[in-house]
Amino acid sequence: MRATSFVWNVCKSSFTCGLIGLTVSDRIASVVHVRGFSMSPTFNPPNNTSLGLFTDDHVLVEKHCLTDYKFSHGDVVVFCSPRDYREKQIKRITGMPGDWVSVPLSYDAVKIPEGHCWVEGDNPTNSLDSRSFGPIPLGLIRGRVTHVIWPPQRVGKIDQKLPRNGLSL
Amino acid sequence: MGLQNTIFNAFNKSIVFGLVGITVTDRYAGVCPIRGSSMSPTFNPSSSSSSSFTDDYVFLEKFCLDKYKFSHGDVVIFSDPTNYKGRCVKRIVAMEGDYVSNVNGATKVPEGHCWVEGDNSGFSSDSRTYGPIPLGLIEGRVTHVIWPPERIKKVDRRIPPQERLAF
Repeated sequence: MRATSFVWNVCKSSFTCGLIGLTVSDRIASVVHVRGFSMSPTFNPPNNTSLGLFTDDHVLVEKHCLTDYKFSHGDVVVFCSPRDYREKQIKRITGMPGDWVSVPLSYDAVKIPEGHCWVEGDNPTNSLDSRSFGPIPLGLIRGRVTHVIWPPQRVGKIDQKLPRNGLSL
Repeated sequence: MGLQNTIFNAFNKSIVFGLVGITVTDRYAGVCPIRGSSMSPTFNPSSSSSSSFTDDYVFLEKFCLDKYKFSHGDVVIFSDPTNYKGRCVKRIVAMEGDYVSNVNGATKVPEGHCWVEGDNSGFSSDSRTYGPIPLGLIEGRVTHVIWPPERIKKVDRRIPPQERLAF
Protein backbone atom coordinates (compact mmCIF):
# COMPACT_ATOMS: atom_id res chain seq x y z
CA MET A 1 0.00 0.00 0.00
CA ARG A 2 2.81 2.37 0.90
CA ALA A 3 4.74 1.37 -2.21
CA THR A 4 1.85 2.02 -4.63
CA SER A 5 1.08 5.41 -3.13
CA PHE A 6 4.79 6.27 -3.33
CA VAL A 7 4.93 5.22 -6.97
CA TRP A 8 1.73 7.18 -7.63
CA ASN A 9 3.24 10.28 -6.04
CA VAL A 10 6.39 9.93 -8.10
CA CYS A 11 4.28 9.58 -11.25
CA LYS A 12 2.23 12.66 -10.42
CA SER A 13 5.34 14.72 -9.68
CA SER A 14 7.09 13.71 -12.87
CA PHE A 15 3.95 14.40 -14.89
CA THR A 16 3.72 17.89 -13.40
CA CYS A 17 7.43 18.52 -13.95
CA GLY A 18 7.10 17.32 -17.52
CA LEU A 19 4.18 19.68 -18.12
CA ILE A 20 6.03 22.61 -16.59
CA GLY A 21 9.06 21.78 -18.73
CA LEU A 22 6.98 21.62 -21.91
CA THR A 23 5.18 24.88 -21.18
CA VAL A 24 8.41 26.68 -20.33
CA SER A 25 10.16 25.47 -23.43
CA ASP A 26 7.19 26.34 -25.63
CA ARG A 27 6.49 29.79 -24.28
CA ILE A 28 9.42 31.14 -22.26
CA ALA A 29 12.81 29.84 -23.35
CA SER A 30 14.61 26.76 -24.61
CA VAL A 31 18.09 25.59 -25.53
CA VAL A 32 19.02 24.94 -29.15
CA HIS A 33 22.06 23.19 -30.60
CA VAL A 34 23.65 25.16 -33.44
CA ARG A 35 24.91 23.13 -36.40
CA GLY A 36 26.90 24.35 -39.37
CA PHE A 37 29.02 27.40 -39.99
CA SER A 38 26.66 29.90 -41.55
CA MET A 39 26.85 32.06 -38.42
CA SER A 40 30.62 31.95 -37.87
CA PRO A 41 32.25 33.50 -35.93
CA THR A 42 29.23 34.34 -33.77
CA PHE A 43 28.46 30.62 -33.38
CA ASN A 44 30.78 27.67 -34.08
CA PRO A 45 33.90 29.74 -34.90
CA PRO A 46 36.18 28.14 -37.46
CA ASN A 47 39.03 27.14 -35.18
CA ASN A 48 36.75 24.59 -33.53
CA THR A 49 37.29 21.07 -34.74
CA SER A 50 33.63 20.26 -34.67
CA LEU A 51 33.03 16.97 -32.97
CA GLY A 52 29.30 17.35 -33.14
CA LEU A 53 26.98 17.65 -30.18
CA PHE A 54 29.69 18.03 -27.59
CA THR A 55 31.68 20.93 -29.06
CA ASP A 56 29.04 22.78 -31.07
CA ASP A 57 27.59 25.91 -29.54
CA HIS A 58 24.34 25.64 -27.65
CA VAL A 59 22.30 28.80 -27.32
CA LEU A 60 19.46 30.07 -25.20
CA VAL A 61 16.40 30.96 -27.27
CA GLU A 62 13.77 33.18 -25.68
CA LYS A 63 10.16 33.01 -26.82
CA HIS A 64 8.77 36.04 -25.06
CA CYS A 65 9.38 38.06 -28.23
CA LEU A 66 6.66 35.99 -29.95
CA THR A 67 3.88 37.69 -27.98
CA ASP A 68 4.36 41.08 -29.60
CA TYR A 69 6.83 40.30 -32.41
CA LYS A 70 8.98 43.33 -31.61
CA PHE A 71 12.01 42.31 -33.62
CA SER A 72 14.68 44.71 -34.86
CA HIS A 73 17.79 44.84 -37.01
CA GLY A 74 20.58 42.70 -35.68
CA ASP A 75 18.43 40.19 -33.76
CA VAL A 76 19.53 36.59 -34.20
CA VAL A 77 16.40 34.48 -34.62
CA VAL A 78 15.37 30.84 -34.98
CA PHE A 79 12.81 30.29 -37.75
CA CYS A 80 11.21 27.47 -39.75
CA SER A 81 12.91 27.17 -43.11
CA PRO A 82 10.58 28.34 -45.91
CA ARG A 83 11.97 25.60 -48.15
CA ASP A 84 11.52 22.70 -45.74
CA TYR A 85 9.03 23.19 -42.93
CA ARG A 86 10.63 20.47 -40.78
CA GLU A 87 13.95 22.29 -40.49
CA LYS A 88 14.78 25.19 -38.26
CA GLN A 89 17.44 27.73 -39.13
CA ILE A 90 19.31 30.40 -37.17
CA LYS A 91 20.19 33.67 -38.89
CA ARG A 92 20.40 37.37 -38.15
CA ILE A 93 17.69 39.83 -39.17
CA THR A 94 19.26 42.43 -41.47
CA GLY A 95 16.11 44.02 -42.89
CA MET A 96 12.65 44.83 -41.51
CA PRO A 97 9.39 45.55 -43.42
CA GLY A 98 9.73 48.60 -45.64
CA ASP A 99 13.51 48.44 -45.98
CA TRP A 100 15.20 48.14 -49.35
CA VAL A 101 17.82 45.44 -49.74
CA SER A 102 20.23 45.23 -52.65
CA VAL A 103 20.29 41.76 -54.20
CA PRO A 104 23.85 40.52 -54.77
CA LEU A 105 25.06 39.85 -58.31
CA SER A 106 22.37 42.00 -59.87
CA TYR A 107 21.36 45.64 -60.02
CA ASP A 108 17.97 45.04 -58.42
CA ALA A 109 16.85 46.31 -55.07
CA VAL A 110 14.09 44.41 -53.28
CA LYS A 111 11.64 46.15 -50.97
CA ILE A 112 10.81 43.97 -47.99
CA PRO A 113 7.01 43.54 -47.94
CA GLU A 114 4.79 44.20 -44.93
CA GLY A 115 4.99 41.41 -42.34
CA HIS A 116 8.29 39.99 -43.70
CA CYS A 117 11.97 40.35 -42.83
CA TRP A 118 15.35 39.73 -44.48
CA VAL A 119 17.68 37.27 -42.76
CA GLU A 120 21.36 36.66 -43.43
CA GLY A 121 24.06 34.53 -41.86
CA ASP A 122 27.11 36.27 -40.39
CA ASN A 123 29.31 34.11 -42.64
CA PRO A 124 28.03 35.17 -46.06
CA THR A 125 30.08 32.70 -48.09
CA ASN A 126 28.65 29.67 -46.32
CA SER A 127 25.08 30.67 -45.66
CA LEU A 128 21.74 29.74 -47.25
CA ASP A 129 19.53 32.68 -46.35
CA SER A 130 17.29 35.41 -47.75
CA ARG A 131 19.72 35.98 -50.60
CA SER A 132 18.52 32.57 -51.86
CA PHE A 133 14.93 32.27 -50.67
CA GLY A 134 13.89 35.90 -50.36
CA PRO A 135 12.28 37.67 -47.40
CA ILE A 136 10.53 35.42 -44.88
CA PRO A 137 7.20 36.12 -43.15
CA LEU A 138 7.67 37.12 -39.51
CA GLY A 139 5.18 34.37 -38.61
CA LEU A 140 7.87 31.76 -39.31
CA ILE A 141 10.05 32.99 -36.46
CA ARG A 142 10.11 30.67 -33.45
CA GLY A 143 12.35 32.54 -31.01
CA ARG A 144 15.22 34.98 -30.49
CA VAL A 145 18.72 33.93 -29.46
CA THR A 146 20.00 35.83 -26.43
CA HIS A 147 23.04 33.98 -25.04
CA VAL A 148 25.53 31.26 -25.87
CA ILE A 149 25.48 28.81 -22.99
CA TRP A 150 27.90 26.07 -24.12
CA PRO A 151 30.88 25.51 -24.36
CA PRO A 152 31.77 27.18 -21.06
CA GLN A 153 34.60 29.27 -22.49
CA ARG A 154 32.22 30.88 -24.99
CA VAL A 155 29.39 31.71 -22.61
CA GLY A 156 28.18 35.25 -23.31
CA LYS A 157 25.41 37.55 -24.52
CA ILE A 158 24.82 37.86 -28.24
CA ASP A 159 25.41 41.37 -29.56
CA GLN A 160 22.94 43.12 -31.76
CA LYS A 161 25.41 43.66 -34.55
CA LEU A 162 24.10 46.03 -37.18
CA PRO A 163 24.48 44.88 -40.77
CA ARG A 164 27.60 46.08 -42.56
CA ASN A 165 26.43 46.20 -46.15
CA GLY A 166 23.63 45.18 -48.43
CA LEU A 167 21.18 47.69 -46.97
CA SER A 168 20.55 50.52 -49.39
CA LEU A 169 18.10 53.01 -47.96
CA MET B 1 -4.25 23.60 9.49
CA GLY B 2 -6.83 21.59 7.58
CA LEU B 3 -8.12 24.70 5.80
CA GLN B 4 -4.62 25.76 4.76
CA ASN B 5 -3.99 22.29 3.38
CA THR B 6 -7.22 22.35 1.40
CA ILE B 7 -6.43 25.73 -0.07
CA PHE B 8 -2.95 24.61 -0.95
CA ASN B 9 -4.27 21.47 -2.61
CA ALA B 10 -6.87 23.41 -4.57
CA PHE B 11 -4.18 25.84 -5.68
CA ASN B 12 -1.93 22.98 -6.75
CA LYS B 13 -4.68 21.29 -8.71
CA SER B 14 -5.65 24.48 -10.53
CA ILE B 15 -2.04 25.09 -11.53
CA VAL B 16 -1.82 21.58 -12.94
CA PHE B 17 -5.12 21.97 -14.83
CA GLY B 18 -3.96 25.33 -16.14
CA LEU B 19 -0.72 23.80 -17.39
CA VAL B 20 -2.52 20.87 -18.98
CA GLY B 21 -4.89 23.33 -20.67
CA ILE B 22 -2.04 25.46 -22.01
CA THR B 23 -0.08 22.47 -23.27
CA VAL B 24 -3.11 20.91 -24.94
CA THR B 25 -4.13 24.11 -26.74
CA ASP B 26 -0.55 24.77 -27.83
CA ARG B 27 0.17 21.34 -29.15
CA TYR B 28 -2.92 19.25 -29.74
CA ALA B 29 -6.23 21.03 -30.32
CA GLY B 30 -8.03 24.28 -29.76
CA VAL B 31 -11.15 26.32 -30.44
CA CYS B 32 -11.12 29.43 -32.56
CA PRO B 33 -13.69 32.03 -33.66
CA ILE B 34 -14.03 32.83 -37.34
CA ARG B 35 -14.36 36.47 -38.35
CA GLY B 36 -15.28 37.79 -41.74
CA SER B 37 -16.94 36.15 -44.69
CA SER B 38 -14.03 35.00 -46.83
CA MET B 39 -15.02 31.39 -46.20
CA SER B 40 -18.77 31.71 -46.83
CA PRO B 41 -20.79 29.56 -46.96
CA THR B 42 -18.55 27.07 -45.14
CA PHE B 43 -18.20 29.49 -42.20
CA ASN B 44 -20.29 32.56 -41.33
CA PRO B 45 -22.80 32.04 -44.13
CA SER B 46 -24.91 35.09 -43.34
CA SER B 47 -22.75 37.93 -44.54
CA SER B 48 -24.75 40.58 -42.74
CA SER B 49 -24.01 39.34 -39.24
CA SER B 50 -21.12 41.09 -37.63
CA SER B 51 -21.71 40.41 -33.96
CA SER B 52 -19.34 38.03 -32.28
CA PHE B 53 -22.22 36.10 -30.77
CA THR B 54 -23.28 34.63 -34.08
CA ASP B 55 -19.82 34.01 -35.57
CA ASP B 56 -18.89 30.39 -36.10
CA TYR B 57 -16.50 28.77 -33.69
CA VAL B 58 -14.43 25.91 -35.01
CA PHE B 59 -12.43 23.07 -33.56
CA LEU B 60 -8.89 22.91 -34.82
CA GLU B 61 -6.45 20.09 -34.39
CA LYS B 62 -2.70 20.45 -34.24
CA PHE B 63 -1.68 16.81 -34.63
CA CYS B 64 -1.15 17.53 -38.29
CA LEU B 65 1.76 19.83 -37.37
CA ASP B 66 4.04 16.93 -36.47
CA LYS B 67 4.21 15.43 -39.89
CA TYR B 68 2.74 18.33 -41.87
CA LYS B 69 0.63 15.87 -43.82
CA PHE B 70 -1.64 18.42 -45.44
CA SER B 71 -3.51 17.80 -48.63
CA HIS B 72 -5.79 19.51 -51.12
CA GLY B 73 -9.05 20.62 -49.62
CA ASP B 74 -7.86 20.95 -46.00
CA VAL B 75 -9.09 24.06 -44.24
CA VAL B 76 -6.19 25.47 -42.23
CA ILE B 77 -5.50 28.34 -39.87
CA PHE B 78 -2.20 30.12 -40.45
CA SER B 79 -0.31 33.25 -39.49
CA ASP B 80 -1.17 36.08 -41.88
CA PRO B 81 1.93 36.73 -44.03
CA THR B 82 1.05 40.40 -44.37
CA ASN B 83 0.43 41.00 -40.68
CA TYR B 84 2.24 38.70 -38.29
CA LYS B 85 -0.18 39.46 -35.46
CA GLY B 86 -3.21 38.19 -37.37
CA ARG B 87 -4.38 34.74 -38.26
CA CYS B 88 -6.30 33.65 -41.32
CA VAL B 89 -8.42 30.65 -42.15
CA LYS B 90 -8.49 29.41 -45.75
CA ARG B 91 -8.60 26.21 -47.76
CA ILE B 92 -5.49 24.62 -49.30
CA VAL B 93 -6.05 24.53 -53.04
CA ALA B 94 -2.61 23.46 -54.23
CA MET B 95 0.47 21.92 -52.66
CA GLU B 96 4.17 22.19 -53.52
CA GLY B 97 4.94 21.27 -57.08
CA ASP B 98 1.43 21.97 -58.39
CA TYR B 99 0.79 24.64 -60.99
CA VAL B 100 -1.94 27.19 -60.28
CA SER B 101 -3.46 29.27 -63.03
CA ASN B 102 -3.35 32.93 -62.08
CA VAL B 103 -3.77 36.30 -63.82
CA ASN B 104 -0.06 36.17 -64.71
CA GLY B 105 -0.23 32.73 -66.27
CA ALA B 106 0.55 29.48 -64.45
CA THR B 107 2.54 29.80 -61.23
CA LYS B 108 4.35 26.83 -59.77
CA VAL B 109 3.98 26.45 -56.03
CA PRO B 110 7.57 26.24 -54.63
CA GLU B 111 8.67 23.44 -52.34
CA GLY B 112 7.76 23.91 -48.70
CA HIS B 113 4.82 26.17 -49.68
CA CYS B 114 1.12 25.79 -50.42
CA TRP B 115 -1.55 27.85 -52.19
CA VAL B 116 -4.57 28.86 -50.11
CA GLU B 117 -7.87 30.37 -51.19
CA GLY B 118 -11.07 31.33 -49.44
CA ASP B 119 -14.29 29.59 -50.45
CA ASN B 120 -15.90 32.98 -51.13
CA SER B 121 -13.60 34.07 -53.94
CA GLY B 122 -15.03 37.54 -54.33
CA PHE B 123 -14.37 38.55 -50.74
CA SER B 124 -11.19 36.73 -49.92
CA SER B 125 -7.66 38.08 -49.61
CA ASP B 126 -5.55 34.97 -50.06
CA SER B 127 -2.77 33.47 -52.15
CA ARG B 128 -4.12 35.27 -55.21
CA THR B 129 -3.08 38.46 -53.39
CA TYR B 130 0.03 37.50 -51.44
CA GLY B 131 1.28 34.40 -53.23
CA PRO B 132 1.95 30.91 -51.88
CA ILE B 133 2.58 30.64 -48.13
CA PRO B 134 5.30 28.57 -46.43
CA LEU B 135 3.88 25.50 -44.68
CA GLY B 136 5.69 26.64 -41.52
CA LEU B 137 3.05 29.37 -41.04
CA ILE B 138 0.24 26.86 -40.55
CA GLU B 139 -0.99 26.60 -36.98
CA GLY B 140 -3.69 23.97 -37.23
CA ARG B 141 -6.31 22.24 -39.32
CA VAL B 142 -10.04 22.89 -38.89
CA THR B 143 -12.07 19.72 -38.44
CA HIS B 144 -15.52 20.74 -37.12
CA VAL B 145 -17.77 23.73 -36.64
CA ILE B 146 -18.86 23.66 -32.99
CA TRP B 147 -20.98 26.84 -32.66
CA PRO B 148 -23.73 27.91 -33.27
CA PRO B 149 -25.46 24.66 -32.32
CA GLU B 150 -27.58 24.45 -35.48
CA ARG B 151 -24.44 24.48 -37.61
CA ILE B 152 -22.43 21.80 -35.82
CA LYS B 153 -20.91 19.58 -38.49
CA LYS B 154 -17.68 18.16 -39.81
CA VAL B 155 -15.84 20.39 -42.27
CA ASP B 156 -15.60 18.63 -45.62
CA ARG B 157 -12.39 18.34 -47.55
CA ARG B 158 -13.92 19.65 -50.71
CA ILE B 159 -11.59 19.15 -53.62
CA PRO B 160 -11.21 22.49 -55.44
CA PRO B 161 -12.79 22.94 -58.90
CA GLN B 162 -10.50 21.77 -61.65
CA GLU B 163 -10.19 25.01 -63.59
CA ARG B 164 -7.87 26.51 -60.95
CA LEU B 165 -5.26 23.79 -61.25
CA ALA B 166 -3.36 23.76 -64.54
CA PHE B 167 -1.55 20.45 -65.09
